Amino acid sequence: MNPAAYRELGAGLAMGLGAIGPGIGLGIMIGKALESIARQPEVSGDIRTNMFIGIGVTEAVALYAFVVALILIFVAK
Amino acid sequence: MKHPWRWIIGFCVIGGLVLLAVLPGGKKLEFEVAGEFQREVLVKLPTIGPFDMSITKTVAYLWITVGIILIVTIIVARSLKVHPGRFQYAMETLYELARDGIVGSVMKSGKKQWFPYIGGVFVFVLTCNLIGLIPLPFGDHHQTAFYTATANLNVTLMLALFTFLFTHYAGVRKNGALKYVKAWAPSGAPPVLKQVIWAIHVISEFFRLISLSVRLFANMVAGHAILAVFFAMALIFQSYLVAVALQGASVLIYMFEIFVAFIQAFIFAILSAVYIGGALDQDH
Repeated sequence: MNPAAYRELGAGLAMGLGAIGPGIGLGIMIGKALESIARQPEVSGDIRTNMFIGIGVTEAVALYAFVVALILIFVAK
Repeated sequence: MKHPWRWIIGFCVIGGLVLLAVLPGGKKLEFEVAGEFQREVLVKLPTIGPFDMSITKTVAYLWITVGIILIVTIIVARSLKVHPGRFQYAMETLYELARDGIVGSVMKSGKKQWFPYIGGVFVFVLTCNLIGLIPLPFGDHHQTAFYTATANLNVTLMLALFTFLFTHYAGVRKNGALKYVKAWAPSGAPPVLKQVIWAIHVISEFFRLISLSVRLFANMVAGHAILAVFFAMALIFQSYLVAVALQGASVLIYMFEIFVAFIQAFIFAILSAVYIGGALDQDH
């Protein structure tokens, strides 16, 4: 294989493997948030706000993988 | 046969789909996703020091954003009514979301002082993201194309830098410089551990800058890349069947992108509020 093929393979692997962890984390977090909203509907506003903060922090990890994939494809020579 | 029309319509639909699958597509298109995000220069201006002053696509989008915010807010502020109309009600909802949903629910003190910045960032990022979903004639050869100013790392890094600076400004002004920096490590910890924790906290402050900017940038780039791929995939596959299926799917993706535009503006504003609030009311 030539280097360009390795680069594109690496980009695909980075994106795919990098999405596993945040996917699991987001699933657990949103599931727990829905569970607690179902138990205590009166504090659903606070839970939702904190859930969005958590989503933002967790999702960033997948986006780092995305940026690495972009760098591998377009920037790395 | 109870419903002959149903059978006829069903056969027509299936026959049409088979015909679409068999028919060869149009001209093959060379499509490059990266080309959608090139910063092409609209007006060439000289370089002053390290700054290139020429007007790019991003600058034009930022000006459009600022212009829309200015015009809308001036119109709404001029015609305030006690019984709000539909437009004023939408603006009031946005204002309330920024005041109660973002600043009110996260910050403990300094709400009134920091609401203008956080609400301003929220509205600015939201407008930027939403304008990115309207095709404007800034593409190659003045074709209409999708682009957002927030899909440019320079813009998001600047916004994150403002939050970073305001965080430390707020913390130093309220607590005093020495007390503010001292509180980064817990007071009860043993001395060596305290230094390690302090160093880790300093690193995490800088990582906030990176995560805040890269999150918005990568979300917008990824969203627009997916939109571009979905719009152009029919031309890549050269099939009318794929085209019919993908037009439906791209409408769904477009709606999801509207949702993402809201969520990203909300997250940017609420994380700014969390950081500034954390610097104002230090825990340890």
